[in-house]
Amino acid sequence: MTALSLSLLVPWAAGLLLVVLDGRRRTVGWLGAVTLAATIAVLGLLAADVLRDGAVEMVTGGWPAGVGIVLRADALGVTFALLSCIVLLAAACAETLLGVGQRTVPGLLVLLAAGLNGLFLTGDVFNFYVFFEMSMIAAYVLTGYGGGRAQLRAAVIFASVNLLGSFIFLLAVAGTYRVTGTLAMDDVAERIREVPPNAAIAVAVGFFVAFSVKLGLFPFHYWLPTVYADTRPSVAAVLSGAVANIGAYGLLRFGPGVFAEQIRLSATVLVVLGAASIVYGGVLAVARRRPAEMLAYSAIGQVGYVLVAVGVGGPVGFAAAVLYSVVNALNKALLFLTTAVRGPLVAGAFVVGALSVAGVPPAVGFVGKLAVFRSAVDAGSPTLVVLLVVGSALSLLYLFLVYQREFWAEEDRDAVTDAETRDTAPARGVSRRVPVVVLAVLLLAGGLWPEPLVAVSAAAADVLTASTNGAGP
Amino acid sequence: MTLATAAAAALLFGAGSYLLLQRSLVRVVAGIALISQCAIVTIIGSSLSQGRAPLDPAEGGPLSDPLPQALALTALVIGMGTLALLLALVHRVVVAHGTAERDELRDVDRPGRDEVVRQEGDETE
Repeated sequence: MTALSLSLLVPWAAGLLLVVLDGRRRTVGWLGAVTLAATIAVLGLLAADVLRDGAVEMVTGGWPAGVGIVLRADALGVTFALLSCIVLLAAACAETLLGVGQRTVPGLLVLLAAGLNGLFLTGDVFNFYVFFEMSMIAAYVLTGYGGGRAQLRAAVIFASVNLLGSFIFLLAVAGTYRVTGTLAMDDVAERIREVPPNAAIAVAVGFFVAFSVKLGLFPFHYWLPTVYADTRPSVAAVLSGAVANIGAYGLLRFGPGVFAEQIRLSATVLVVLGAASIVYGGVLAVARRRPAEMLAYSAIGQVGYVLVAVGVGGPVGFAAAVLYSVVNALNKALLFLTTAVRGPLVAGAFVVGALSVAGVPPAVGFVGKLAVFRSAVDAGSPTLVVLLVVGSALSLLYLFLVYQREFWAEEDRDAVTDAETRDTAPARGVSRRVPVVVLAVLLLAGGLWPEPLVAVSAAAADVLTASTNGAGP
Repeated sequence: MTLATAAAAALLFGAGSYLLLQRSLVRVVAGIALISQCAIVTIIGSSLSQGRAPLDPAEGGPLSDPLPQALALTALVIGMGTLALLLALVHRVVVAHGTAERDELRDVDRPGRDEVVRQEGDETE
């Protein structure tokens, strides 16, 4: 219980303090990173508790249950919170090593962690919206970081499209209250069964659209390439590795967790949309030249796998969806961070990331792909398996195109490397690459010893299947 | 009353979507503001009940549902904050691009191969 409240209080209080301080100073940047590391430690303790004894619940403000807002940490929420904080920590370290250019950046990264932890650890639909907005506001400001014309344009596009998504979410929340008369997720999941099917489907579609916009799934992806490609690499890493988790978590929590019946009815639609996302993202990524843009389209393709796994459903499908979300967030964080630095170590890290996206064994991506393939085989659809293979092949193709252009064509890069290390000692040049290398090692370690990750995602999937069966008639 | 609220919400959403599709960024922001108001009207409409204010519920009789009002207040505050942020962003865009027309932003010269150099330069601002 203490760990639960600390995981929200630590980043929130520290974030407020850090926003006031001048983030361009190196010490402030490191303070931000230390806060994120402390948050990860607290979340680790919480995760140990949750995995050992089941979900931890707490009613805020000392109100009786049913009146106060419930905070609840279960395996699913804790997994996503830990994942997001790790990505944020990597981005904060990378940004501090490169030199922060704007005073609010470390504070905003920490506040983003507070918002994300809040929404992953709440048991109340409206509270979810509040934390959701809190993290999105930090993300809007971060997108404009750099202050160049391209970044400002990206920030306006990102903010306006995602605000529309947020208000659609709010409309769905109002709809939920109208049809069920409650906002606690558990009660909603129980009462939605007695709701007329048309109303329930309408509300569920509202949630689905809101999360798909966040995740950048195929028909809702239009904002994503510009934003990911034009923001700073570390911000793109945060957006695709931490903020996009809202979408994946939301689909899982509200899909099988709350609207179980509706998800089952629309399974075919989800699988078709997911497959369309995979093919669309893959084909367009091959056609792009700039690495950041290619990675942006790749992000559209990769979230398709998550949606396919959710659509297939069942314990295998949900576990695959959780596992793939984790793997994908780490992959994307690594790959976007590599676009900011250069050198043989970075090239090696990029190869690890590329292999992981394509699902080649030594990297953790293999475990994720394997889980999704298993769920597709379970669904008994040869077409789906073929589409997944095509998606993987495309991702290998476009990532090695990037590798060839960016890391083999060294002579093109000389000017840049000179400029980059212009006024820095070689030792610092090496230290800049540390976050990227650490992430790559993490991906390899996860691939060589995948049992913990598999166990955690199975536990997270259990939460979802238990909530649908437990409340059953 | 539910019908009137629904009609008002629909009107707000329609007008908001229309503005959202306009070229001028200021109109886009106005569209988002209208859509946020639509969400708030919908929240209020989600539980319309007649009764006394639930401040001191000991005396009996019908009470109005306080929850949507609390939600609406929270959503209003958040909506205002995001709106202010969005207007500030649009202001920065107008300063940087010299225009508030969405189509003219598209001609930003894409950072090419010298991207890393330019961003190093940006940091010194």
